[in-house]
Amino acid sequence: MRRILVILCVSVCISRGFFLSRTVSADEIAARAKKLHFSSIVLDTHDDTTQRLFSKDFDLGKRNLDGHVDIPRMREGGMNAIFFSIWIDGRIMGPPAVEKALDQIDAVHENVLKYSKDLVFCRTAEEVRRAHAQGKIAALIGVEGGHMIGNDIRVLRMFGDLGVRYMTLTHFYNDEWADSSTDKPAHNGLTDFGREVVREMNREGIMVDISHVSDKTFSDALEVSKAPLIASHSSCRALCNHPRDMSDDMIKALAAKGGVIQINYERSFIDQAYKDAYDKVSGGVVAAMEKITKECSGDEDCTSRKLRELQTQMEASGTLPRVSWERIVEHIDHVVKLVGPDYVGLGSDFDGATMPDGMEDCSKLPKITEALMRKGYKDEDVRKILGGNLLRVMEQTEKVSSELRAQ
Amino acid sequence: MLRIFLTAALGVCACCFLAVAVRPRDISARARKLHFSSIVVDTHDDTTQRLLDEKFDLGARHTDGSIDIPRMREGGLDAIFFSIWIPSKITGREAVSRALAQIAAVREQVRAHPKDLVLATTAAEVRVAHKQGRIAALMGVEGGHMINSDLDVLRNFASLGVRYMTLTHSGNDEWADSSTDTAAHNGLSDFGKEVVREMNRLGIIVDISHVSDKTFYVALEVSKAPMIASHSSCRVLCDVPRNMTDQMMKDLAAKGGVIQINYHVGFLSQEFRNAEKANPEINKAIGEEVQKRCGGDEACQLLEGDRLTREHVERGELPRVDWKQIIEHVDHAVKVAGVDHVGLGSDFDGANMPYGMEDASKLPKITDALLKKGYSEDDVKKILGENTLRVMAEVERVSRELSKQPQK
Repeated sequence: MRRILVILCVSVCISRGFFLSRTVSADEIAARAKKLHFSSIVLDTHDDTTQRLFSKDFDLGKRNLDGHVDIPRMREGGMNAIFFSIWIDGRIMGPPAVEKALDQIDAVHENVLKYSKDLVFCRTAEEVRRAHAQGKIAALIGVEGGHMIGNDIRVLRMFGDLGVRYMTLTHFYNDEWADSSTDKPAHNGLTDFGREVVREMNREGIMVDISHVSDKTFSDALEVSKAPLIASHSSCRALCNHPRDMSDDMIKALAAKGGVIQINYERSFIDQAYKDAYDKVSGGVVAAMEKITKECSGDEDCTSRKLRELQTQMEASGTLPRVSWERIVEHIDHVVKLVGPDYVGLGSDFDGATMPDGMEDCSKLPKITEALMRKGYKDEDVRKILGGNLLRVMEQTEKVSSELRAQ
Repeated sequence: MLRIFLTAALGVCACCFLAVAVRPRDISARARKLHFSSIVVDTHDDTTQRLLDEKFDLGARHTDGSIDIPRMREGGLDAIFFSIWIPSKITGREAVSRALAQIAAVREQVRAHPKDLVLATTAAEVRVAHKQGRIAALMGVEGGHMINSDLDVLRNFASLGVRYMTLTHSGNDEWADSSTDTAAHNGLSDFGKEVVREMNRLGIIVDISHVSDKTFYVALEVSKAPMIASHSSCRVLCDVPRNMTDQMMKDLAAKGGVIQINYHVGFLSQEFRNAEKANPEINKAIGEEVQKRCGGDEACQLLEGDRLTREHVERGELPRVDWKQIIEHVDHAVKVAGVDHVGLGSDFDGANMPYGMEDASKLPKITDALLKKGYSEDDVKKILGENTLRVMAEVERVSRELSKQPQK
């Protein structure tokens, strides 16, 4: 009895003590993380939500049961700066590509107007900061694929005038002036016109985005660009050997010129086992996408949705392994270990990719902040990763642009 | 000998006189001062077609056509609406992409001549440009067929800086009737009405030049903002469907709109019009010759059409129309609609100009003539540009109001 009592007492004391100290510490980090997260500029450089804006069933202002991004969930996840991605299939070229891109740009502007209490359109880092100070979500635009300029530098300039602030040089296919990482090389990187496009982007103040491009295109762009580059939504090849991800050498070269890699949350880009299994069953993401694009006959929203559905089905049947959201943190940490905390950020690919377990939508973003703090990251470094680094590149791009324009 | 000498002297003097006639000396100091301190706006110039030719330099003085930067400077033209135009028969996506190419071409000119030109999309921006001594470049789309019945395209035009759209060109489009086609929509279709409402919301001025009388009235009823006729003249002085009746002008004015007088000889002069009608073979011959010289090149068609018409006039086959007819139309419109509702919409580079108004450099003559007619300086300023700027500002106000949609 006594013995029992003693044991009980000891165990209670120990467990209480242990429990208490652990909870206090955990709560402390959680509370600090929450505070830090919701006072920071949390900027996501890649969201395919734009295609959903054309769907009658989607309302950006309401909480949706599907998809990853809408205003209520952005608010909940503290995501206060978003790059809406302008994307159409890379095989659509010429004037139809230009028009479809313009339609999407228009849809973003229309939605900003429609939800002007929550959203404000931003073109500069300063405007993003001002939006944050006003408690608004900064809406920005990136064009995902150089094919949308229709080989016309004047269209690129129009995009710049309409507020486009980055352009990914290619999508899954080569365009007529740059090679993609998921197509057969045709231009040995960038053509002369491709180099002119990069120079004009510098002049226009449009960030050069090297996600999707081939390694050679990356090094050509790095050489030509007078402003730092970004990878708007790519992860680390050292952790998941996918051509869409960046090798350590590439990350080092990008960082050496002040650029940023924005980690993509797509399962097959962050998890090797998943990628291997996926390749086996579907012949890779491009083949799967080609099949689905055909089924959807060009409806981009349908394509994105079906691609996600396919992956979800394959996971449910056990054909594909499950992937935890913590992989995202591993990729961030890998970049930080490689080049320091100034060259990494967040480029989810929400609404355009399949999200890992635990990162089902943008409301889950505070988990990243908390995980980084648990890893011992300093507050200021976390802020950089959440958005500060990308804003630095934007500012640098703006500076280069005004210098070039003054010439 | 004496006689020969006299003739020669007379000939020389006549030359002197002619040369002097177009020189600024002919214009009073007061008119010059007023003209060059006013904001002179022209709402319709087809110069855009010429910009598509990469060899054309807007910054250089040309011996053909009516518009370039040196002649705009010389004529004190401070704000110009570059017309985005393709023929009505071109429709669908081709129409959209060709319109976009023209919009890009205008924007490129602004880029190429930053000291002389600045893109303006509001009345305030036109005023700033004027203060800076730069010419405000604006854009109007001449023909609703270019939106391909798609409001997204209309919105893209607005984003890219288009600030008026003529609901039709010479042919009906899918949702509005033209004044020079057989009525098909009883004015505006339901979609056409939606287009007008969306234009109001976007801050694009509704332009009723080219449309049928019925379309005009339906648009007038639907539009929440004042409208313009970007390049139309008075039907009572020259009876063509492209011009406005007195009643239409009154109704346009009652809702705050402006008629911008077109300088095309066939819209100014009844005599010219009658001669054209009496000799249809002339227009046919011109048309055929233009086709031969230009094929599908619209810039060439416009310039050659003007040149060939002049040749017929020189040969006495068509009457000679004097630039003063412009003043008669302005004056008539002022008498009917009021001085707050008239402006200038030359149709330079897109029509046959009357003698004495060959290009933009001749514009100060209009100011001089109006002053000589006894117009007050304030009234002249209104006609030169202030009326158009007032409509722009009002259209912007309506747009802001309509854009304030309650958030769900």
